[in-house]
Amino acid sequence: MRAKIALASLVFFAGIVLAIPAFAHHSHAMFDSTKQVTLVGTVKEFDWDNPHCWIQVLVPDPNNSQAAPVEWGVEMDSPLALYRRGWRPGSLKAGDEITVVINPLRDGRTSGQLVSVTGPDGKIIGHPAEVTK
Amino acid sequence: MIPDFTGRIVGRRALPAIVMALIAGCLCPARAQTSSRERIKAFAKLPDWSGFWEWDVLVGQADGQQLSPEGLGKVQAYTAAVHPAFNAAWQAKYDQAKKALDVAVAAAPDQPPATYQPCVAPPFFLATAQPGIYEWRVTPEETTLISTMGSVRHIYTDGRAHPPKDELWPTNMGDSVGHWEGDTLVVDTVATKPEIRVPERDIFFTVIPMSDQLHFVERIRMVNRNEMQIQFTTEDPIALAKPMNVTLTWVRVTNTNRMTEENDCDPATDRNPVVNGRFTTVVR
Amino acid sequence: MKVRGALIALFVLFGCVSFTSGQNLNSKARVETFAKLPDWSGMWEPDIFVGQADGQQFSQEALQKMKARAEALRPSFTPEYQAKYEQIRKSIEAAIAADPLHPPATHQPLCGSPPFPATFTPGMFEWRVTPEETTFISTVGAVRHVYTDGRSHPPKDLLWPTLMGDSIGHWEGDTLVVDTIATKRRIYMGELTGFFVPMSDQLRFTERIRMVNHDAIQIDYTVEDPIALTKPIHAVFTQTRVTDFDRMLEEADCEENERDPVVNGRFTTVTH
Repeated sequence: MRAKIALASLVFFAGIVLAIPAFAHHSHAMFDSTKQVTLVGTVKEFDWDNPHCWIQVLVPDPNNSQAAPVEWGVEMDSPLALYRRGWRPGSLKAGDEITVVINPLRDGRTSGQLVSVTGPDGKIIGHPAEVTK
Repeated sequence: MIPDFTGRIVGRRALPAIVMALIAGCLCPARAQTSSRERIKAFAKLPDWSGFWEWDVLVGQADGQQLSPEGLGKVQAYTAAVHPAFNAAWQAKYDQAKKALDVAVAAAPDQPPATYQPCVAPPFFLATAQPGIYEWRVTPEETTLISTMGSVRHIYTDGRAHPPKDELWPTNMGDSVGHWEGDTLVVDTVATKPEIRVPERDIFFTVIPMSDQLHFVERIRMVNRNEMQIQFTTEDPIALAKPMNVTLTWVRVTNTNRMTEENDCDPATDRNPVVNGRFTTVVR
Repeated sequence: MKVRGALIALFVLFGCVSFTSGQNLNSKARVETFAKLPDWSGMWEPDIFVGQADGQQFSQEALQKMKARAEALRPSFTPEYQAKYEQIRKSIEAAIAADPLHPPATHQPLCGSPPFPATFTPGMFEWRVTPEETTFISTVGAVRHVYTDGRSHPPKDLLWPTLMGDSIGHWEGDTLVVDTIATKRRIYMGELTGFFVPMSDQLRFTERIRMVNHDAIQIDYTVEDPIALTKPIHAVFTQTRVTDFDRMLEEADCEENERDPVVNGRFTTVTH
């Protein structure tokens, strides 16, 4: 019994370890670091603010062009940390067409932790995490 | 005939000297405000730790805050090194607290328990192992450590002792006094809050009360132009079977020249508020 | 030969050790610059807190000073910003009238850093004066970095509003002249429960800071905003030397025993 529990906690640990930010503003356990979701859409808002910058993306339904786009929130690092990796307050503007890869919220709501952003010019912005294919 | 300052009458030959003295006096009114010779001499003997520094764990961090593989390895090593060697009585307290934490995490994995207060400066024990940028302000009477996460540590190096026990009360940063051994700053800290936050996986902390004998020693040195090392020892003869030792490495930051605040949370816009003791996410 | 070799090795070793330890020391240039700077070491507090009672009541002298400074700090808004101010004030008056015992929380509780300038709000202060930077630190969590190595403000598109803004300074003799931009675009009104009025992005602060004698630092404080103000605001503040305490102990830690929590947007008090 003891060995089983120890193994289970190890697996849990390994699952979480992939994404730990180490002593950040809050725990990131609400994001599923074993999953990645790709969002293709338009920037609604680029929120440059402490303690986290956020991108609000409008993602159209690929199967129904008549439906209203769905808004997703993408959580990033702090303004200072992003600035040091090349981001600027004006790096994204409303209307920019982007592709974002995220680790989604476990509870299924339309939000996630940033993995990578490809800007309107097709280039990756800043310093992405590893995108798994 | 010209009177000098004492009212004596002096000859004309003294005039240039008097004029020079007057000019010098007018041009240098601030002389009295500058540091004493002793202070300047003491400053000359201090190392130059100016510039910005960060914990090497964060090098290569991605924009979603994911650590690099190297950083991950380092943080795992850090977590293992600061896992306390409790004695039997305290190990029991830890086991109980850890069990409660595991239950709380499993109960709602999408709303992790908030095992520390966000948006405020981290407490002493964790203050040198944080994201963000650090700055040292080294002068003869004090070395001050400041971080963009809001921590400020005052290390008094003018020979003063800790206040007597009945004049101390526990605070987040405790009371630090230090002295220089060559270019190494040796720091002694007491009177922190008598608790330890044991880092678990993914920045969960198990909070364990410690005794009032909790005590820290650091040996801090700039080993080369781009690297600082902090040898950090935690002692508590009542709670620990042996002291904990860990060495932290900081590297010089070159991609920004401002200590911009990072931990300022406006409740009106914070999207990760703590609700009923758990971290939540505002989706919008 | 052996002895000579050993002597050379010792000499080289000694040279390496001295070189290594000397490498990290302050350069001659840094020491020379430090020598020219005033010595503001020690601890300081706003003069209005001298004589304060244990329930935080101010002395009569302090009350008079505060009144005079409140007048000096009163903004002359342009019509557009006067309208904003009046609207905000009216809504707060209404909120107070609705529940006078639980005033609306119109600003964040003082559990973190106060906003810029933080030099005349509660706390004890330290000025850490070194060649490239003067750092202002308070016991209530404020830290201000004033860079004095000649760097300019970052370009506008690389700035964003922060609690403390971006401060650069230079020395004119023993006076530190500080220029601050990119604070949060608002001004604090010490009326009713205290509240903020939004300002324009041209908001700018100038401070002339000088230790006028061993026990007093004076701050000549000017606020400019050509869009929101018809004329600059100007006031003079004094900090006095603290002699009854020798530690910068933190004062704004609210984790321990917060008995004035904000509940549903209002300040409350926990009686027991």
